[in-house]
Amino acid sequence: MVDITGQYMLNLLLNGLLIGVIYALMALGLTLIFSVLGIVSFAHGEFYMIGGYVVYFVLQRFTNLHPYFAVLIAGLVTFVIGFIAERLLLQPLAKGEIERPAEYAILITFGLAFFLQFLMIAIVGPFPKKAARFFDLPEISTDILVTTATTLRIFEVPLSGNRLIAAVTAAILISATIFFMAKTWLGRGLQAVSQDRQAAAVVGINPLKMNTLAFSLGTMLAGMSGAVLVAVFSWVPWVGVPASGKSFIVIVLGGMGSMPGAVLGGLILGVVESLGAGLIPDPGRALAYKDAIGLLIFALVLLIKPTGLFGRDL
Amino acid sequence: MNLEVRDVVKNFGGLQALNHVSLSIDKPEIVGLIGPNGAGKTTLTNIIDGVYKPTEGEVWLNNERVDKMPPYQIARRGLGRTFQVTRAFRRMTVMENMLVPALALHPGANRREVEQKAYEVLEFLTVEHLANELGRGLSGGQQKLLELGRLLMLDPQFIILDEPFAGVHPKLQEAIYSYINKAHSDGKAIILISHDMDSIFTLSERLVVLHFGAVIADGDPAKVKDDSAVIEAYLGKDEEEDEDA
Amino acid sequence: MKRSPVIWVLIIGGIAITLALPLILRDKQYWLFVATQAYFWAILASSWALLAGYAGQFSFAHIALMAIAAYFSGIVGRDLGWSPLSGIIIGTLVAGLVGLIIGLLCLRLRKTYLALFTIAFAEIVRLAINAELDFTGGPMGLYLEPLIQTTSYVPYYYLILGLLLGSLAFMYALANSRFGLFFRSIREDEEAAAAMGVNVVRYKIMAFVVTAMIAGLAGAVDHHFIGFIAPSELIIGRMSLVIAMAVIGGIESLIGATLGAIFIHFSLEWLQQIPIPAALMPRIVEFKPALENLGFALTERAIQTNAWRMVGFGILLMVTLRFWQNGLIYPIIQRLTRQEAQAETVAKRQPAPVEETAAQERSEE
Ligand SMILES: Nc1ncnc2c1ncn2[C@@H]1O[C@H](COP(=O)(O)OP(=O)(O)OP(=O)(O)O)[C@@H](O)[C@H]1O
Ligand SMILES: [Mg+2]
Repeated sequence: MVDITGQYMLNLLLNGLLIGVIYALMALGLTLIFSVLGIVSFAHGEFYMIGGYVVYFVLQRFTNLHPYFAVLIAGLVTFVIGFIAERLLLQPLAKGEIERPAEYAILITFGLAFFLQFLMIAIVGPFPKKAARFFDLPEISTDILVTTATTLRIFEVPLSGNRLIAAVTAAILISATIFFMAKTWLGRGLQAVSQDRQAAAVVGINPLKMNTLAFSLGTMLAGMSGAVLVAVFSWVPWVGVPASGKSFIVIVLGGMGSMPGAVLGGLILGVVESLGAGLIPDPGRALAYKDAIGLLIFALVLLIKPTGLFGRDL
Repeated sequence: MNLEVRDVVKNFGGLQALNHVSLSIDKPEIVGLIGPNGAGKTTLTNIIDGVYKPTEGEVWLNNERVDKMPPYQIARRGLGRTFQVTRAFRRMTVMENMLVPALALHPGANRREVEQKAYEVLEFLTVEHLANELGRGLSGGQQKLLELGRLLMLDPQFIILDEPFAGVHPKLQEAIYSYINKAHSDGKAIILISHDMDSIFTLSERLVVLHFGAVIADGDPAKVKDDSAVIEAYLGKDEEEDEDA
Repeated sequence: MKRSPVIWVLIIGGIAITLALPLILRDKQYWLFVATQAYFWAILASSWALLAGYAGQFSFAHIALMAIAAYFSGIVGRDLGWSPLSGIIIGTLVAGLVGLIIGLLCLRLRKTYLALFTIAFAEIVRLAINAELDFTGGPMGLYLEPLIQTTSYVPYYYLILGLLLGSLAFMYALANSRFGLFFRSIREDEEAAAAMGVNVVRYKIMAFVVTAMIAGLAGAVDHHFIGFIAPSELIIGRMSLVIAMAVIGGIESLIGATLGAIFIHFSLEWLQQIPIPAALMPRIVEFKPALENLGFALTERAIQTNAWRMVGFGILLMVTLRFWQNGLIYPIIQRLTRQEAQAETVAKRQPAPVEETAAQERSEE
């Protein structure tokens, strides 16, 4: 039995927020895919998994490389894989060549997940890998904030430096994505297609190209989420399965296709999971049920309001 | 027989698709239902057949309130409809399409007899050679006929046809005409929704005009045709629209 | 419908071989075991084909329902001393009940949402089984009493073969009755089916309950044979395998899915280097020290070689989906059965005066 003090709650809350930022980044990718292609990719977690492995191997091979450079490489690799997958598997769907589109979209992305997962087992083997810490925290010591190389205490609440770095990196990437969507020509094109394909086509945007772009960018965001987390968690080829689950939960919470909704949903999921797990009295159970909390909320939201908490009504 | 729509309102969010619509049919007649695009004709069909629940008002079928029932129960109580955009069961053969309503209504029916009857219906509609084709293999017009065929198998007392002629070749339109005439002489009441004024005025014995979700005229087709409100609201405007298109 | 002689030769030949298999494999007990498991997978794949291919409900909870029945049977046996037989019955009923609840909950959910919901359900079941150590044994699994006191695989072989043939016969009858027709009409267009008087709610739920019970029955019986079940059997990879079997066999065909399952299960066993299904990979890692104590050399390389075969099936699955949506096996069956049947209907069903309408059709195009 743990003491439920204010400080303990704050600890849970902050840790939840840190992990929530990563959920948000991942779900942002899935949201982009859903809003432009109109499908949910069941292979989303596999791109997350691949992103993590890319960083691990790049940093292992080039020890002096800046970790952020490895994260960018992971983004590039997952972008390219997503690009190829979209061209080969999803483009026929957009062209209307597939007879049962909804079923096809579910099954083909499921097949892709299956394929990528076993491909990674075959290539890198099944045993856990973990990348080294990206950087040390600067040593600070003030009344409210005390840091060492690996931990940070704020108002006496200890946080893992690794997680903090991952969360900050993810937050930077989220901001970059939002900037891209709002301010660049391509981002606006994507938004136009997600709102009205026909109208977008009339003003000269090629919806098929936008599909490819959205999917590749979506998988890239998943890959980069994995890339920033590989220094926090140990990495196995099926690490993407729960990660997919988290992104489904978040996009349903955030209202299928809404980007601000996805960010908010990610933070909510992180906090709810953290609080839920921290407040279940039996610690063994708490650990085991941590993932179930999100799933339960997810199932309830699907049943009660399938368009999500923050979604528009269909 | 009796079908009554009582003061029905249907809102979609802020949009009022039906505005206190009342309509009563108590004899086997052909009722033309016309109105500009978006007037609420299909919405009214969906209300009667139970797909939508009215925001206000009631629907009664043979002295029983049906607006809270699921569509299949309303179908079993003798109301059949076709869809404006055809909805054949695409990966089932024409014959299987025909069996669905018959077996849903009469679970114990002898399969061979039902098939025999379905075959006769297809013959009547001049599409018996398609019996073993898949629904998705049919042309648009053939799909319309298939929907009529399914209705004949359901054999409802009240029939709502939503744009049965749209996009159908004149040759196949003849089959639809003979369907409507046969159903009429068999004592069915038919609501015919169409933008094709020739068919409407040839077939209907009574004409109902919807405009912005409200009934603006209901009565003898010849009189409704000359009604100034109708001309202003619909007939005149519709011709202009046609020219635009 | 009359079938061509070829198909009869194949059917009779197939049945003869399956019945004689224990004799043929007298000296290869391991392969008899593989065959038994292939039939178990075939029951899962064909019942999933009925649910997804016929009724259009793409549920990912099938494996979870199978496992729920097995766990229930095992737990009432361990804690209440029930016999395996009564355990299997109650397990099957519980699976049906859970199927009923899923069906009810999912009435409003279409396609993608149904898939998401059932994945969440299956994961919750797996996590709960993992967590509730006292009931389920947690990650270490649960032991089940043998259903038949024997050291031979032969009785189980015939038992599970019987189960497969029985459930196939039942599902075939169902699919060809009016229920099958209603299932398919719901799959095609719920609203149109309802307008034709089909009680959509009832038949959707019926599809869930019937297929849940079949999966549950197979799960309970098979695990009283294997003697052990663990939560790692519920991982999503195993559900993928069922789906791959049905898709490659032919999702709209019971017999296609059955043959797909048998084909894939045998190929996987035949291609594999170590006798552990690769879908259980996470568990291998979990139990690596224990397994190594038992003398299994779990080198990284062995597992990697093993994973390549799954990569191959992943590619096969995607290619099948992309180019042969009706599966690889079903079209072959269709070709063998169709020709004569078509000739027959054409002859019988087209009376003389068709020229006119045919001409009309042509003029229309
Ligand atoms: N499910 C719905 N959700 C929101 N609005 C709807 C819905 N169905 C219909 N409407 C709106 O209700 C109004 C009436 O539509 P309805 O389809 O009934 O018109 P209609 O008379 O059948 O037109 P048409 O001649 O084009 O078929 C339209 O403004 C339409 O946009
Ligand atoms: Mg309409």
